[in-house]
Amino acid sequence: MIENYLMHLMILIGIYIILVQGYNIALGYAGLLNLGHIAFFGIGAYTSAILSKMGVPFFIGFILGGIIAAIFGYFLVYSTRKLKGDYLALATLGFSFVFTSIMLNWKSLTRGPLGIPGIMKPSVFGVIIKSNFEYMIFVWIILLVCLYIMWRIIKSPFGRLMEAVRDDETGLKVLGKNTFAIKYKAMMISAFFGGLAGSLFAHYLSYIDPNTFYLMEIILVLTIVIIGGVASFKGTIIATFIIILIPEFLRLLSIPSSILGPSRQILYSLILLIILIYKPRGIFGRVDLT
Amino acid sequence: MAIFSQLTVNGLIAGSIYALVASGFSLIYATNTFMHFAHGTSVAVAAYILYTLFTLLGIPFYVSAILTVFLTGFFGVAMYRVVYLPMQKRKASNIILLIASIAILIMFENVIMLFFDANVKSLQYIKITQGLNILGATITKLQIFIIVFVIILLLVLYLFMKKTKLGRNMRAVADNKELASIIGINHIRISDYSFFLGSSLAGIAGILIGLEQNLFPNMGTWLMIKGFTGAVIGGITSVPGAILGSYVLGFFENYAIWFLPSGYKDGIAFFLLFLFLLFRPKGLFGLNKGVKE
Repeated sequence: MIENYLMHLMILIGIYIILVQGYNIALGYAGLLNLGHIAFFGIGAYTSAILSKMGVPFFIGFILGGIIAAIFGYFLVYSTRKLKGDYLALATLGFSFVFTSIMLNWKSLTRGPLGIPGIMKPSVFGVIIKSNFEYMIFVWIILLVCLYIMWRIIKSPFGRLMEAVRDDETGLKVLGKNTFAIKYKAMMISAFFGGLAGSLFAHYLSYIDPNTFYLMEIILVLTIVIIGGVASFKGTIIATFIIILIPEFLRLLSIPSSILGPSRQILYSLILLIILIYKPRGIFGRVDLT
Repeated sequence: MAIFSQLTVNGLIAGSIYALVASGFSLIYATNTFMHFAHGTSVAVAAYILYTLFTLLGIPFYVSAILTVFLTGFFGVAMYRVVYLPMQKRKASNIILLIASIAILIMFENVIMLFFDANVKSLQYIKITQGLNILGATITKLQIFIIVFVIILLLVLYLFMKKTKLGRNMRAVADNKELASIIGINHIRISDYSFFLGSSLAGIAGILIGLEQNLFPNMGTWLMIKGFTGAVIGGITSVPGAILGSYVLGFFENYAIWFLPSGYKDGIAFFLLFLFLLFRPKGLFGLNKGVKE
């Protein structure tokens, strides 16, 4: 029983590290004020769930989920290229609202508010993943691969260009770099990993509905990135553990589940507020969000 | 014709409510130049304060309503003093304040859920009555009252901003904070006033919505998106613009039902918001600030 519960937490942590580390690439490293990252998570989840319902093998849906999210990432950067500051942040937040409302209303594809139930567990090269233990191993293998790729991207010359866009975009333009190209590539990478995480999430829970990808989740993702410190690779990983595990202590107090849900959200938003007021750079942060 | 007048009436009612939310939001934005997204929380908190005072404790309605407006005003000032001001003193960027305001919004939505559970509540002040019939459209007395009351209130707000000293000072701070400080206007105090006034307007919105519809915990988020869209359409920096934008949104949403399935009604606000932010972030009547800053 307790092992099952711990495995459940480890699976969630694995998925969230992919999601949030991807977010960190756009928000932290490239300095793109994106508040709509949760939409990429949703796009990946829906793509993969719908394809799997149509009988498409898991890995194709998984990769396509990432690719379609990345395409939307390009669209998002392209359409908001003239906006800065608050307006950019709110347009991206608006993007995630648009996503939710389309998922709610495009009933022939998504079944609207009813959501998509019965999403199959993935089968990898003929092996069907059944137990939570197998899924945990599977998620963590994918996590390690994703983290390795992201680490290489961040440490590459392109990674330094992303940070340069964040720190001094005009300066970089003077040097003749196409900053728009760097931005959309950063956002596409970020969205791609968001989509992959969404796919893993959908196949784990086996049920998704539009409300899974709404404002509450945005707070969770933001809290993790800001506590870990924007543009901090290890900070994000450590913060994911902290933030996913903290509300689990509420469970030990054996309070009813109708109170548990709101208490968890209150806890997240309180932590976020306190850290924003007293230590806006988070634990390992090197840069400010501006 | 009957459909047209009914949709017009519905648009007018929706627009009036959105305008109340948007005008407070825009008033706060103009004097403080950051997005107080938690403004929606004030509306929800007001509705639930009224529910507690009137429905649960049985305090007479008008007393409860006036208390609600004041308490909501102070709630707004508290948000400014406890969260935003310390951040501003640490030179936090606007984006940090925006994220903080979203956190406040989520926090109070869940606080309400914790104390009042997630079920829909009703104030039970006005009995459901037969609506009046005007040009084929059905409208209740309460709805007529809301429309007239909001229009008068917004006119008073406009005159207040134009004619009184406090209103002028607010506009001065909105225009140029440093310059206003130099001539001796205490901008922190002006911010206090703007939060009080803006949140009281949200309080009135909460009361009217509570009378007209039901109360639910995430009503604040929902109204904030509508009010914010209205403000963006009209131009966030201009209070009259935000009001007009809200009516535009109210009408647009309702007329659009002619062409679209009614499920998309709430989606329309998101699309308009996104389109305006992309193509005309300064709105129809606002100053050109969004792109350059």
